[in-house]
Amino acid sequence: MTVIVLLAVTIGIIWNYRLLRDVYTGKLSEGTPAPKISASPAAVLIPAGLAQVKELHDKKEAVFIDARESSVYSRGHIQGATSLPLAALDSDLQAFMEKVPYETNLVIYCSGYGCHDSKDVGNRLLQKGFRQILIFDGGYPEWKDAGLPIEGANQ
Amino acid sequence: MRIRKNAQRYFLLTLRVGLGLVFVYAGFLKVRDPIAFAGSVAAYKLLPYFFNYLVAATIPWVELICGTLLIIGYRVRASAGIVATMNILFIALLASTIMRGLDIDCGCFRQGGEKTSAWIAILRDILFLSAALILIAEQKERKFFSL
Repeated sequence: MTVIVLLAVTIGIIWNYRLLRDVYTGKLSEGTPAPKISASPAAVLIPAGLAQVKELHDKKEAVFIDARESSVYSRGHIQGATSLPLAALDSDLQAFMEKVPYETNLVIYCSGYGCHDSKDVGNRLLQKGFRQILIFDGGYPEWKDAGLPIEGANQ
Repeated sequence: MRIRKNAQRYFLLTLRVGLGLVFVYAGFLKVRDPIAFAGSVAAYKLLPYFFNYLVAATIPWVELICGTLLIIGYRVRASAGIVATMNILFIALLASTIMRGLDIDCGCFRQGGEKTSAWIAILRDILFLSAALILIAEQKERKFFSL
């Protein structure tokens, strides 16, 4: 039993070496495969890597949502991102829904590794009827480390 | 008596190959898209960020290899033991999502598709667990491609 598990784990690590290395160092590489936005109306959150969200940002094909506290957002955020902090979601959501059509692609991020606020905000938006929601797990730290455009007080 | 023995033999064969195919299928889908599977693992909110990817990189291979071994009939009891252990773990994880009120997809097979409820996934896993336990109890170790 142990031999089978060890063999499988070793193969898995070797097979995904690049991905694991990039995630560990906080840099999902450009070559990392990222899921495409599906045309299906399946109501699920879609994990997305840096390469895909960068493309969406470049082509202005998605609205970026910052799920962190508004004070943190003010210090620095992805260029063009809208602040929608989890803590203030109840009060901010209505205004957001009036501004953004339901069919819009949304990219939600927070403080990167281990932060779940983006998923919680994403789930609330799914409940409200948005269908194309990508979760950028690397979040602001990965975006900033990659030298991509940011704005805010401490940029 | 002989008919009964034959019936039991074919029942075990069906169970073994069937369970193997399920796990090869499940593993193959996840091996193809580890990032999406990492997203499913992360939705359980139990692991730090990197470990979601580590689990997503390794568990599908355990499923794939155990499934293959079950199909070819090599190291059946060991593979069934691993499958049973994984299913117990999956059931515990799914139960935890119900207790924590998490409405997430189980991430069992296709990632990012239709959502499978935790209760259905638990029932399915109990079925797989039962099959694996029967194989552990009844299956004798044989050579490759044997009945």
